[in-house]
Amino acid sequence: MTNPLLQIDDIHVHYGRLAAVRGVSIRVEPGEIVCVVGPNGAGKSTTLLATAGVLSPTRGAIRIGDVPIAGMAPEKVARLGLSMVPEGRHIFGSLTVEENLRIGTYQRTNRRDVELELKRILKEFPVLAERRDTNAAMLSGGEQQQLAIGRALLTGAKILLVDEPSLGLAPMMIERVYDILTGLRDARGMTLLIVEESAERALDVADRIYVMRRGLVELAGTSSELEQGARLQQAYFGFGGEQEDTRVRIGDDSGAANFS
Amino acid sequence: MIAALQILVDALSLGSLYALATLGVGLVFGVLRLANFAYGDFITVASYALIVPTAGATAEIVIGRWPWPLLVAAVVGVVVILSLVSDYLVFRPLRNAKPAVLMVGSFALGYIIQNIIIVVYDGRPKAIGIWPGLGEAIVLGGLRVPTLEILTIVVTFVLLAALVFFLKRSPFGVQMRAASEDFRMARMLGVPANIVIGTAFVISGFLAAVVSLLFLAQIGVVSFNMGVPLMLFAFVATVIGGMGSLTGAVLGGYIVGFASVLLQALLPEELRTFRDAFVFGIIIVILIMRPQGLLMPRAARERV
Repeated sequence: MTNPLLQIDDIHVHYGRLAAVRGVSIRVEPGEIVCVVGPNGAGKSTTLLATAGVLSPTRGAIRIGDVPIAGMAPEKVARLGLSMVPEGRHIFGSLTVEENLRIGTYQRTNRRDVELELKRILKEFPVLAERRDTNAAMLSGGEQQQLAIGRALLTGAKILLVDEPSLGLAPMMIERVYDILTGLRDARGMTLLIVEESAERALDVADRIYVMRRGLVELAGTSSELEQGARLQQAYFGFGGEQEDTRVRIGDDSGAANFS
Repeated sequence: MIAALQILVDALSLGSLYALATLGVGLVFGVLRLANFAYGDFITVASYALIVPTAGATAEIVIGRWPWPLLVAAVVGVVVILSLVSDYLVFRPLRNAKPAVLMVGSFALGYIIQNIIIVVYDGRPKAIGIWPGLGEAIVLGGLRVPTLEILTIVVTFVLLAALVFFLKRSPFGVQMRAASEDFRMARMLGVPANIVIGTAFVISGFLAAVVSLLFLAQIGVVSFNMGVPLMLFAFVATVIGGMGSLTGAVLGGYIVGFASVLLQALLPEELRTFRDAFVFGIIIVILIMRPQGLLMPRAARERV
């Protein structure tokens, strides 16, 4: 197998003395949609933030292709082609929609690419084109989510990290957002690493899934592998705390889930 | 009528000076969450840059004699360099520290600058007259307006317009606004932290130099702590306007300026000495009514 596009290799992340992530490994191949699921406090977002350069892992390595990025400044990670659609969207509310879209383009050298990409995004997200000059704070949650995705794409990203894209959105809008995300892979070959609270939705969209819990990867496998497992272990996928004895733990990211 | 107009011009002029100083504080606070208490000392250094560094009792003016464009450029240069060096030596190593630590760092820096001035220039105040022509008044009907006040107001309006243009139209400006609102998010989208912070320090230093020259032209004396009261009023104005909002900073500056001038004019003679106590009293009332400041930017909420 060639090098994965993104490889997170046994990282540990601490908040002060509290270990939030304790040896997590995740790999993402080009053009894959990989979901990380798990209950609150599992360390999913922490893993994404460490990958984006906002947090420094205390141990372990992260690579984009062959380039080690663990501990690198977030703006440098961004320039290597990794972009974040964060939880809560973090739109710049006092900037216009277009300024938001352009914020990640100023460090790009090929201006023609930028303008073409901007045109394409405004075409794909008509709602953003309509409201190009309004303050982004005026957008609805779903519109802001689209803006956050468009903004991340305009950095020239090869990999999108998407943190809880459905949070706080109406069910219809969640559908739309996931259509957009899977469309990015189908139309542009985009690679996505998505953190999702709902295991069901993850099974729906992901090629492969990592289940995290208490700072560890508990389970990993392709969606179909996990789906079969999930039927057998419905209780597990409901994250029932009492079912812990039925859990299967795997040591690394071999990618194959081992259901016993 | 004439008296009221006179007060209005005075208030606009003082408010302008405070607005510029407040912007200098507010820009850096916006991107770094740093309340830079050394800002007053940047203002002081700007004025001392005009004279030869000796401990002599009288000021030996060098740069202060240069034609005004050169003079302004030289002073701006000195303070901008001081501002950038401060960032590099003091604030950059503290970049991940808590805001309170940064603040204490800026206090320390301020005292160091003051003490260096005392060692090099001696602690006694020295008279420096720059631009004596500005003391003359322009007479309009019954109104006598010192040229310096007009200049202060005009310079402030021009700089405000330039700053708005920079922030709205230039790539740097847009990135600075984004960084002020959500620094971490901006960085995740590729906005370079050090360049944005450096730009904030450059503009902040530039404004300190301009404030210093306008202030010096008015008082005619340099002293090692001359910038401190300006810095204090600037901080108060920042808090009134809403920490982190630049429009709020300008508004806060003018409110403090107007309050000072109005109280000076309206207070009974025997209370005028205590004018600043009344100014701060009004400020406390404003803050009780609006503790978050008049204009509260979303960015001033917790930043993780």
